[in-house]
Amino acid sequence: MMAFFHPYVLFALPFALLPLGLRWLRSFDVPRLGSRPVDARSRLIDRGLPIAGFIAISSLVLGVSGPYLKGGSVPYRGQGSNLVVLIDRSSSMDDSFAGRTPDGGEESKSAAARRILQDFIAGRPDDRIGIAAFSTAPLQVLPMTTSRSAIRAAIDAQAERGLSQTDVGRGLALAMEMMRDSTTVGSRAVVMVSDGAAVIAPDVQKQLRELALEQQVNLYWLYLRTEGAKSIFDDGAPGEANTAQTRPERHLHLFLQRLGITYRAFEAEGPEAVQQAIDEIGKMETRPILTERMIPRRDLDWICYLLAAAAAGILTLARWLERPYAPVMPAPLMRRS
Amino acid sequence: MRWRVVLPATVTGLALLAALGLGIPRKQHLTDALVVVDITRSMNVRDMQGESRLDYVRRALRDWIAARPCGSRIGLALFTERRSVTLFEPVEICADFSSVAGSLAGLDWRMAWEGDSMISKGLDYSLDRARELGVPLIFVTDGHEAPPLPYAGPAGFAGDSPGGLILGVGGDAPAPIPKFDDLGREVGFYDPEDVQHAPARIGAPPSDASERPGYHPRNNPYGESDLEGNEHLSELRQVYLQDLAEDRELGFLRLADGGAAIDRALLQYAPTHSVRVTRSLSPLIGAAGLLLLIALWLAGHRGFTRTERRFHDYRTHSHRGFLRRHIGVVGKSARSYAATGRRDSDNRGRAL
Repeated sequence: MMAFFHPYVLFALPFALLPLGLRWLRSFDVPRLGSRPVDARSRLIDRGLPIAGFIAISSLVLGVSGPYLKGGSVPYRGQGSNLVVLIDRSSSMDDSFAGRTPDGGEESKSAAARRILQDFIAGRPDDRIGIAAFSTAPLQVLPMTTSRSAIRAAIDAQAERGLSQTDVGRGLALAMEMMRDSTTVGSRAVVMVSDGAAVIAPDVQKQLRELALEQQVNLYWLYLRTEGAKSIFDDGAPGEANTAQTRPERHLHLFLQRLGITYRAFEAEGPEAVQQAIDEIGKMETRPILTERMIPRRDLDWICYLLAAAAAGILTLARWLERPYAPVMPAPLMRRS
Repeated sequence: MRWRVVLPATVTGLALLAALGLGIPRKQHLTDALVVVDITRSMNVRDMQGESRLDYVRRALRDWIAARPCGSRIGLALFTERRSVTLFEPVEICADFSSVAGSLAGLDWRMAWEGDSMISKGLDYSLDRARELGVPLIFVTDGHEAPPLPYAGPAGFAGDSPGGLILGVGGDAPAPIPKFDDLGREVGFYDPEDVQHAPARIGAPPSDASERPGYHPRNNPYGESDLEGNEHLSELRQVYLQDLAEDRELGFLRLADGGAAIDRALLQYAPTHSVRVTRSLSPLIGAAGLLLLIALWLAGHRGFTRTERRFHDYRTHSHRGFLRRHIGVVGKSARSYAATGRRDSDNRGRAL
């Protein structure tokens, strides 16, 4: 789309008709040149000069009005996915995988998750990514975007110390809601990074089931297991307490399996395992996606000015070659001696 | 004669200069900011011309950011309880405007993880956070502390202030605060008995406590004071916010003062960093060339030089003496006589 910085300058365009009516070179009162044969060069000059004048004036007017091609987004087919990253902001994420406050050499769970997510996103240039966080309440951090700088800034900002509790259910609901912004072509995935879970209220469970059917997302749960915590994949020894209250993670896993969507859980007990899990998600979520690419604004005025300079150059050349008409007078009949 | 060539050559030169896109370099002062938006319940009060305060903040901030110069950076955070939480660190506003606007539009009171609204604590936390990020702070709030501050008032600010502004929102008349149920449906307004009216009973009691009903030096050193109050209504607490701002080297103004006022205040209260921008001179140069060309065309299409006018005179009046003076001219023009007119009916030729 073309647009102008100063569109009102275009009102001066009629001046470009000036050369069609008025001559650039001088005219003289001379007797009957028409009897001379018409030569091609003269005709070329005769027609060329008004055209050069027209081009010079009109392109100068266009140049001053400042034409530019609007930037914006162009559709683009890439390899990637619509991704919503759902990050746990509960305060336990600030602990290390060993469940302690991290000291010098250790990395907290949230720092490890951030670092690995940054690498992951840097390696997937075509993804549309949205970021959500949850604690006691779900937070929409960044709506789906292709801007890498915004995504990086949003993930970096999660370095702030955590909030309070963990309400996974509403967080998941928000992440699935954010999928409404996704493109129709391309896979849709929610990657949840959390180190714990909580009981999901029955009404939120119902809402999640409906949303999952409606949105058809692929769900990945990256469970950052603290040392000593029980695995989400096994029920434990017979006779051990196994209810939603005592083992919310296990029961969240079971609930997510029943959602009727593609779901996969990864259990990571250290940064290396997180890296492996993320790599695997990356492999599974690389499919063709119709996304968009931003193009910057492009100024076009220099083209107009160059054209005007060329036309004005022709006009100048014509003036330079112009010679005043001076007919040869008949020699006087008598000379003064 | 010479001007007839030099002036068109000037037009050509001007057009070429314009095409080069020359510009004058200029220093532009930019300010970054971490924008912290209060999302506590009192921000739902609908006293901004019928709009809720939060709706107004979203719209006004978006318009303000849209009008800022490219290169300035904005981070977004929200405040509730006694701290803020940063959604994203400062990003360049032109490249990431849609993300900033999208996140701003997504701000909602439902994001609040707790219902408290301890403005002064939240402000101090936000100042620390902004200093960590190395940007000034813009704190957007109505100044409604809930629960009310202790008698001693807000704690003083000890750290280094990164500078910035407090932007007040809300009307001057107390207005009711909408109340929502568990599922987020509006169910009326807060009643006087829903909220705490008296300052928190922490710290020193007020100096007039002994005159209050129910005062007892040991058992009730603060006196009965939670009997009535207007904490269930909310208005912009401008004086309180001005005091807070002054203590923390911040400026205070109302968000409704407009973007230009905010920019001016930011220049005054926040450190700036300057970038060199070039302002293109091309339109000016191009316009000069255009005017010159039009003027030339109007003036020059049948310009007679002095020589020709004399020649004209000669033809009509006297032949004598002319040729001897202009013999050189005659010789030249005889050669260039070749390219001439073509129309039979027109006896006025064109000479090149």
